Amino acid sequence: MILKIAWKNIWRSRGRSMVVMGSIVVGIWALLFGTGFMNGFMESYMADVINHDVSNIQIHNPEFTKDYDIKYFIPDGEKKVKEIRNWPEVKAATSRAIVNGMISSSRKSAGIQIRGIDVENEAKATQLDSLISEGEYFIGIKRNPIIIGKKIADELKVKIRSKVVLTFNDGNGDLTTTAFRVVGIVKSSSVKINGHYVFVRKEDLFKNLANGNQIHEIAIVTNSQVEEESIVAKYNEVYKEDKAESWREIAPELALMQEMYSRVLYILLVIIMLALAFGIVNTMLMAVLERMRELGMLMAIGMNKLRVFFMVVVETIFLSLIGAPIGLLVGWLTIRYYQNVGVDLTNYSEGLESFGYSSILYPYLEADAYIIVTVGVVVTAIIGALYPAWKAVKLNPVEALHKV
Amino acid sequence: MSIIKVENITKIYNETKIPVHALNGVSFEIEEGEFTAIVGPSGCGKTTLLNVMGGLDHPTAGRVEISNTDITEMKDKDLIDFRLNNIGFVFQAYNLIPVLTALENVEFIMLLQKVAKKERVERSMSLLKEMGIADKADQRPSELSGGQQQRVAVARALASKPNFILADEPTANLDSVSTSNLLDMMAKMNKEENETFIFSTHDQRVIDKARRVITLEDGKILSDVSV
Repeated sequence: MILKIAWKNIWRSRGRSMVVMGSIVVGIWALLFGTGFMNGFMESYMADVINHDVSNIQIHNPEFTKDYDIKYFIPDGEKKVKEIRNWPEVKAATSRAIVNGMISSSRKSAGIQIRGIDVENEAKATQLDSLISEGEYFIGIKRNPIIIGKKIADELKVKIRSKVVLTFNDGNGDLTTTAFRVVGIVKSSSVKINGHYVFVRKEDLFKNLANGNQIHEIAIVTNSQVEEESIVAKYNEVYKEDKAESWREIAPELALMQEMYSRVLYILLVIIMLALAFGIVNTMLMAVLERMRELGMLMAIGMNKLRVFFMVVVETIFLSLIGAPIGLLVGWLTIRYYQNVGVDLTNYSEGLESFGYSSILYPYLEADAYIIVTVGVVVTAIIGALYPAWKAVKLNPVEALHKV
Repeated sequence: MSIIKVENITKIYNETKIPVHALNGVSFEIEEGEFTAIVGPSGCGKTTLLNVMGGLDHPTAGRVEISNTDITEMKDKDLIDFRLNNIGFVFQAYNLIPVLTALENVEFIMLLQKVAKKERVERSMSLLKEMGIADKADQRPSELSGGQQQRVAVARALASKPNFILADEPTANLDSVSTSNLLDMMAKMNKEENETFIFSTHDQRVIDKARRVITLEDGKILSDVSV
């Protein structure tokens, strides 16, 4: 019957109960959507960087990444790539010859990294072809075609079919200068692809390097559900002379960012929970103070303090149990809708893209997040009810009975 | 046999600031089956005396013994259980639980006593019947008149099978017809079931029905007359 009283009590002041339930609904919705949005934000950035730039795993000569000296190539690199492609965990693998240099147009020069790529396998591994915003993916220009990022194209003021000159060290200490013609311009949320890399055919680059057909980097894309670390360990075991690293080691800023985002989410969670707790304390305290005489009567006729405490807490639990499923449903529906349609932030695209973010975000949420948020809100609601319930049991029946 | 012994009760409010002497050495005994009115002008200490007798308030000095148990030294927690099983309360403002029906209001106190559901319902219905409001069993307090609500409150007080019932100005909010009906009901319960009723009142109709009248003035017993 105490449960019945608690249940009926919450409908005594419908407006007030609706406010509490509304804040629980909004709290859960905000947490779910906020978390989903942040996940989408983070995930799209990381997916762009991993899929188009870093890949899941990279292999180098251990000395190469120290200062990108092209004499540190991967011994038998091409042979190794072919073998790796046959590994069941590997979805795609591509090889690159890499040299740092300078790109010049008739107007301006810029420091860049020249990436001599295997045109077909690069497309499979990094979908570089999908990033082409102008021109074609190595089609239409036969001699020395080059693909450059949008930012470089804007800086150099070059267009499709414009001539650019690459200057770099040929490996013998001599500078070599070669003319290329822009075949495509890529646009990506990756800052490096937009403004630091230029892509040429591997064989065009080899012609200008002293050490011949040597590659400096192998990029591996793993099948989903495969732990990168296990393949890294496997490669390093088989080919001890090279160094395989996962994206976490190659781009530690991504892992750091991922960590930072989860902390931001926790802070968001705490802020929303605190706001909710204060709302509940306020409302339930009003409910208790309003019923002082009734509570005094209950204690006078023999209802013990534990039962009074329990009754007030149960009222809040009921409010949470009504609010939580609605909040969950609304949150789930919102995320599901935007998961398909995407949150359009094109109004802010310039700013977002300058930081490497996509302007359309697809929120998503793991199933356990729904459980964590719900438990968090219900626990907060119960904690919020403790003070009003404590106030209720502290009432003096004689004084309470004489309250008007 | 005396079921209540009030011995030299003194109650002082605001002891440290401006002391107010609500009760000054009040002593009397109540026998089982009495129908007693404690009367006196406003502020004479009637309600304070009832609160002390009912274990709702602690006296500054003196002792209250109920069925040979001294309740003045009892802890609050024990007093709650003691009240539940030994004392029935009827308040001036009825104080029913607004979200429960009349039947549930009567049943509630037995629920606190952990009485089985079947017995609770049977006893509640029987009490409502005796109070002449069995047809109102499924109605909420807001759907009942003041007199009907107070009858539900009396039924609730009797439901726990207390040693006695303390009624603080039970007719203060009732019209004359309702007052008369309520008093008849309580007098009947007193006569037929030997229930002990102690009222605080300044309602002459209650005083006329009482078989013993204790008159208080300035916290002291002015007279104690059995009719």
